[in-house]
Amino acid sequence: MSPVAEMGIVEEQIEISEGVVELTVRAPEIAGLSRAGQFVHVRVSTGFDPFLRRPMSVGPCGDGRLKLIFAIRGRGTRLLAGKLPGNTVDMIGPLGRGFDHPEEGVIPLLVAGGIGVVPLLLLNEQLPVGLERDFLLGVRSRTVLTVTDSEIERRHISVATDDGSLGYRGDVVQLLARRLDELDGRKVNIYGCGPGPMLTFLKRLCQERSIPAQVSLEVPMGCGVGACQSCAVLKADRKGYLLVCQDGPVFDIDAVDLSPEALP
Amino acid sequence: MKVDTTVRMGSLELRTPLLTGSGTFGYGDEFHTLVDYRALGGIVTKSISAHPRPGNPPPRICETPGGGIINSIGLANIGVDGFIADKVSALPIGETRVFISVVGDAVEEYVTVVEKLEQVDWVDGYELNLSCPNVKQGGLDIGGDWRAVAAIVREVRAATGRFLAVKLTPHQPRIAPVVEAAAGEGAEALTLTNTLVGMAVDVERRRPLLGAVTGGYSGPPLKPVALAMVWQAAQAVDVPIWASGGIVTGLDGVEFLLAGASGLQLGSVFFADTKAPGRILQEMCDYCERHGITRLADLTGKLEPL
Repeated sequence: MSPVAEMGIVEEQIEISEGVVELTVRAPEIAGLSRAGQFVHVRVSTGFDPFLRRPMSVGPCGDGRLKLIFAIRGRGTRLLAGKLPGNTVDMIGPLGRGFDHPEEGVIPLLVAGGIGVVPLLLLNEQLPVGLERDFLLGVRSRTVLTVTDSEIERRHISVATDDGSLGYRGDVVQLLARRLDELDGRKVNIYGCGPGPMLTFLKRLCQERSIPAQVSLEVPMGCGVGACQSCAVLKADRKGYLLVCQDGPVFDIDAVDLSPEALP
Repeated sequence: MKVDTTVRMGSLELRTPLLTGSGTFGYGDEFHTLVDYRALGGIVTKSISAHPRPGNPPPRICETPGGGIINSIGLANIGVDGFIADKVSALPIGETRVFISVVGDAVEEYVTVVEKLEQVDWVDGYELNLSCPNVKQGGLDIGGDWRAVAAIVREVRAATGRFLAVKLTPHQPRIAPVVEAAAGEGAEALTLTNTLVGMAVDVERRRPLLGAVTGGYSGPPLKPVALAMVWQAAQAVDVPIWASGGIVTGLDGVEFLLAGASGLQLGSVFFADTKAPGRILQEMCDYCERHGITRLADLTGKLEPL
């Protein structure tokens, strides 16, 4: 599918928690085309400093709108966080390969770490209504939640916190392991997105239990369309690279090297 | 007033002076639905080598304050055979001119790649990359040595009658000997410049931001360096100069034309603004209208003394 360039209009800007911002952007073309796991390449400056666009997973979308949910990490995301209703957002998208839905009879398990929840929020919306699923989210502490309390309740999201301030005390992959035990051998597909260490643990668990998984990756990116080859990740066999913008951002977990050395 | 945007480069006429900078525009089709090819006089593909190259370890790109970026792709490409077999349908043949960037570890590799491309009829010309900062060979070692530049241009010139451009490095103590050598051996255009070698550090983690530690610095901060080189080269030789280095606006383009450029390569700007060709061309035409100039090409070398 061909990406489009679209000038979105910000309709709402809210702070979900400390340093986590949600922009609701009116962008009918991109919102109408996006599949869960795909991303938009967002220009953060009206000039050329910072120079690069920021790749961002498409969050929940519909009705001509999409949500950009992001953590403020530096100058670019701070500029984007400063967008107010009525401001424009220059976007290219939807880009990349999204998640494949599970086959019939297979239970999707959505496993998010921190801001990695964003593409899974859209997947959760795009999965068939009534389909049995599980949605797990890990964060350091309840003060840095990446979804609102009401969303947690409405979407039946199980939360794990490192400090035990909400839900399960521990990391989300541990919580997943427990859930797999409870499911007792039923067929599942895992959909993961989160920071490097989480993906390393997730891959280990999936390999131990022979469970198929798809993961969405984030790396520094240039063009977003496969031209510059900046967003390379090492293949699992370590013979060559795949491009996050074109071959991903969603990969089969067995296709990519998710060891700590490969995810600096 | 209608401004004539066509430019003549030796045996070729280009619809506009705008070209894509090698490496930023892939194999030519990646931006297909996003870029207006009519605003481009031609595209220059990413550099093609005799055999596939996997490229450098990631991370391969980072930003620097002031609008700069540093890349370390390492000439990742599918090799000339894969390029010919798989990318014909991708190239905007007929929509704009197609120049193939060629790279090699040694003279023989440049010749091999060109000889293979001579077998297909959709190539308008070549740009020899004698200046990549991100590989050990095929890069700065060659580009800074006028004898090596002369030898490669001579051998490739003997292998093709097609248009031949040569892309040079900004890492030169003196530009004149190198551009004279390239022009003397039959280069029909000189591209100035490739990126500067640069580096950035994540101080919190005490690590380099690029997998290969150093990379090629580009974007708007490169412009003054490239501008000086274009001007110096234009003083030394008569062959057309393709300017490359931080062009993001029409007035940037005008600056390079005044300094002596005939062609203008857009590179990093595609990462920020995919509509850059049409926008920049319009901004240059607006400049011409304001100054009563009817042909863009008339700006070349028209820098007035202070």
